[in-house]
Amino acid sequence: TITGNFASVIHGLNANHLTDQVIQRSKRMILDTLGVGLLGTSTEVCHKVTQYSKIYSSDISSTIWGHLDFRLPPLYAAFVNGVAVHSMDFDDTWHPATHPSGAVLPAVIALSEAFPQKKKISGLDLLLAFNVGIEVQGRLLRFSSEARNIPTRFHPPTVVGTMGSAAACAKLLALDQLKCKNALAIAASYAGAPLANAATQTKPLHVGNAAKHGLEAACLASQGLQGNKQILDMESGIGAFYTDYNPQALPTLQSYPWLLDQQDVAIKRFPAHLGTHWVADAASSVRRKLVESSDNLLPLDKIEKVILKVPEVKYVSRHSPTSEHEARHSFQFVACSALLDGSMSVQSFASENIHRPALRELLCKTQLEHPPDNTPSFESLYCEVSVILRDGNTISDRCDTFYGHWRKPLKKEDLEKKFQSNASSVLPAEATEGIIETVYNLEKVEDCSVL
Amino acid sequence: PEETVTSSFAAFVHAVRPEHLSKTVCHRSKRMILDSIGVGLVGSTTHVFDIALQYCRELYSSVAVSSVYGKPGVKLSPTLAAFTNGVATHSMDFDDTWHPATHPSGAVLPALLAASQMLPPSTKPNGVDFLLAFNVGLEVQGRLMHFSTEAHNIPKRFHPPSVVGTMGSAAATAKLLSLSAAQCAHALGIAASLAGAPMANAATQAKPLHIGNATRLGFEAALLAARGMEANPSILDDIPGCSGFSAFYSVYQPKPLSTPSDHHEFLLEKQDIAFKRFPAHLGMHWVVDAALSVRNLFINYAGSFSPSLIRTIVLKIPVSKYINRPFPSSEHQARHSFQFNACTALLDGEVGLSSFTESSIHRQELRELLDKVVVEHPEDNVANFDKMYGEVALLLHSGDVLTGKCDTFYGHWRKPLSKESLLKKFRSNASHVLPEEKIETIITMVDNLENLSDSSQL
Repeated sequence: TITGNFASVIHGLNANHLTDQVIQRSKRMILDTLGVGLLGTSTEVCHKVTQYSKIYSSDISSTIWGHLDFRLPPLYAAFVNGVAVHSMDFDDTWHPATHPSGAVLPAVIALSEAFPQKKKISGLDLLLAFNVGIEVQGRLLRFSSEARNIPTRFHPPTVVGTMGSAAACAKLLALDQLKCKNALAIAASYAGAPLANAATQTKPLHVGNAAKHGLEAACLASQGLQGNKQILDMESGIGAFYTDYNPQALPTLQSYPWLLDQQDVAIKRFPAHLGTHWVADAASSVRRKLVESSDNLLPLDKIEKVILKVPEVKYVSRHSPTSEHEARHSFQFVACSALLDGSMSVQSFASENIHRPALRELLCKTQLEHPPDNTPSFESLYCEVSVILRDGNTISDRCDTFYGHWRKPLKKEDLEKKFQSNASSVLPAEATEGIIETVYNLEKVEDCSVL
Repeated sequence: PEETVTSSFAAFVHAVRPEHLSKTVCHRSKRMILDSIGVGLVGSTTHVFDIALQYCRELYSSVAVSSVYGKPGVKLSPTLAAFTNGVATHSMDFDDTWHPATHPSGAVLPALLAASQMLPPSTKPNGVDFLLAFNVGLEVQGRLMHFSTEAHNIPKRFHPPSVVGTMGSAAATAKLLSLSAAQCAHALGIAASLAGAPMANAATQAKPLHIGNATRLGFEAALLAARGMEANPSILDDIPGCSGFSAFYSVYQPKPLSTPSDHHEFLLEKQDIAFKRFPAHLGMHWVVDAALSVRNLFINYAGSFSPSLIRTIVLKIPVSKYINRPFPSSEHQARHSFQFNACTALLDGEVGLSSFTESSIHRQELRELLDKVVVEHPEDNVANFDKMYGEVALLLHSGDVLTGKCDTFYGHWRKPLSKESLLKKFRSNASHVLPEEKIETIITMVDNLENLSDSSQL
C-alpha cells in the first residue's frame, strides 16, 4: 500500500540520504522560520494562545522561542511556537502551495527538548527529521491536481502540515514502520481546516495546530494507538480533503530524490500573503518611475486610478481592510502601501499605517482586474500595476518573479538580515549571532538542544 | 450586525433559556445523558482508553480538576479530561446515534462535565443550566446536519462527529460559560478550524479519538473565544471561492436559526435518538434483530440451532463499504461488520459486550458460519438510518428457506428503549467500574437534573 510505502520510507531514510543542496536549503528555511517565530511571539494572537496554554504545565517541558521565563509541555510549546511562526504570515511558502516549515520545526524542536538527558538528539537528527516532514508534505500535495493552485476549500497547512509534523516526529522518535503508519493514520483524523479563517486571527492557529496535532499523533502511535493502515490509499482517508485524489508510492531509498532538491521554497520579504509579493515589487518599481527621489512624496492628487492585474483569489481581494490580518491578505492594500512608501516592511501593517488617510484615499482609487491568463498558482502568476494619471499618462510595470521567490531566491546576506531584524525584537545580539552560527553548522552539532 | 447564518447561530446559543426546553426534550436528553455516562464508564475499561489516559497523564499534571470516567482519584486538566472521557464514550461504539447520522452526546457531555468542574464555586452551573447547555450542543449539531443532503445518508467522506460534534461541543461549552453572542460566533469559527476527520479511521482503534477530539477541541475553541480569540464571523455562511464550514460538504445550503422568542422548537422534540443494545455500529442492529427472528424460526423448524443444516446465509443490506467486512480480525472491525454481527446473533442468540472479545471473534464455529455468508444489496435498501432494513435468509441444504426481516430494531427512534431497558443497559455498563450505591446515585441525579443545584456533582 501507499501508506505502508510512506511508513517504510520515513523509517528508512537516514542522514546519508541528505544531499548538499537539500541541507543548504533546509537550513535556510530553519533560520528564517526561527526568526519569524521569534518576532511572532510579540503578537496579540500569540499572547492569547500563550495565556491559554499556561493552564497546562508538567514536568516534561519545552521552551517558547525567545522566552526563557517559563516552559510548557512539548505539545503546547509546539502549538504556541507554530502560532508564532504564522502569526504575521511571514513564513515560507512552497509549490504546490503550503507553509511547510511552520508545521514541522516547532514540533521537532519541542520534541527534541523533551528527551531525557541520556538520549540526546544531534543536529543531524533534527535536520533529517525536519526534511522528512517537509518531504512528506510535498509528496502528499502532488496527489491532487487541486493542490497546484491557490486553495479554495481547505487550508493546506492543516491538511498536509499535520501529516508532515507527524512524520517528522515519528522520525525523531525513531518509531518502527508500523508505528510510523499509525502516526500518519492518527494524524489524518486531526487534519483539515476550512479556508474561511484565513485573514482572521485564527489563521495562525492552523499552523500551530498542525505542529501540535502531528506531534500528538506521533506520541499516540508511539504508545501503541492504531489507525487505518491505508489512510493514504483510501478516498475516505486523506482523500476526503480533495475532489480528485491519486496517491503514488514514494521512490526507493537508493539515492533518494528529495523534493526540496527539485523545488525550493519562497521566503517572504514582508509579512503578508505570498500573492502580494508580486504586487509589491511591481508597485515599487512603478513608484520609482513616478517619483525622482525616494524622499519625495507620491503625488496623490495627480493620480486618477490604480489598476492591478492579478489572478482571481477571493481571500486576498480586499478593498478596504480594517485589521492587520485583513491587510496581510489584500492585493489592494499592499499595492497602495508600496506606492506610498516605496517598499513594504513589518511596519507597513501597524495600525496607524493601515488607517492613514493617504492610504485610504489611494485605496479608493484602486481596482482589480483578472486577466484570464493570470492563473492562481504560485508558479505562474504575475502582477501588473498601472497608475493612470489625470493628465492621461499611464505608468505601469509588471512583476513575474518577485525577489524571494524560488526562481529568484534571497541572497545569504538578505536572509540573514531578515533573521536579524526579526530576532532582535526579542533576543540580544549575541544570541541572534549564536543561532545563525548553530543553524549553519547544524550537521555538526552534537546536542541540538543548544538551539 | 449583519444577518448572516453564523450570527443567527451565535445569537441562538447566546439567547436561548431554560424556559425554551420542552418536556419531551428534557426527558429525551436526560435519557441520553444517562446512557452516555454508562457507556463512558464501561468504555474506561478498554485498551484505547488506557492509551489516551496514559498519554494525558504523562504530559500534563497541573490544574487537574476534572474527573475521568471510572477512575476515582484521577484528575486531569479540563480539556484533557474531556478528551479522555470522549474516547471512553466512543471506544466500543456503544453510544447513541441520531438522524441525520452522528453520535451527538459523546461530543458534548464530556466537555460539559469537565467544564462544570472547572468553574469556581461561586459560578457553578446548576442542573438546569447544564441540561440547557447540553441541548444547545445537540441542537447545533442537528441544525448543521440539515445544511446538506449528504448528511442524510450513512457518511462516506468525513466522520460526522468530527465535523458537527466539534461545533456542538463549542456551542454547548460557550453556553455553559455564558459567552457573549460575539464570542459564541468566534467559538464556532475557531471550532470549524478544528473539525473534520476522514472516515477511513472508522473501524480502527483511532475512531474513538474522533469523539474525544470533537468534545475536547470544541471545548478549546470556546475557551480560546472566551480569551478573546477571533475567527471568521461568517464561518457557517456560504462564501463562494473561500470555504468555511462548507468545506466538509459537496452540497451546502445553510439556513439561519430563528432567535428563540417565547418558543423554540428543538430538533430533539421531533426526532429522537437511537440507543444501542450492544456495542457495535448502528447498522448492525437491524441485521441482528433479523437474525434473531430467523434463528427462532430455525429452532422451531429443527429443534435446535444446527449450523450444519445451513447451506448459505444471505444478508440483504444497504451499500456501505466501511461496515461490510466478511472476515473481521479485530474488535474494531467486528463492530463494523454486518456479517460478523449476523452470525454471532445466529450462533449465540444474542450479541453483547463479550461477543467482541478476541476469543469470541476468532472461534471456529463462527468462522464456519461466516464462510457461508453471501451479501446482497437490494436497490430499495438505502444507506440511511431512517429507511434501511436488514434481512437474513437461511438457505438450508434441504432446500427450505427461512427468512427474518427487520425494519426497525428495538432501540431505534421509532421503537425506543423502555425505561427499564435503558436502566438495565446503564447498570450493566456502570457495574464494571462502580459500586452499586454510586450507580443508583447517578441514576437519581440525572433523573432529577433540573433540580440539581451544582452540576459538577455529576
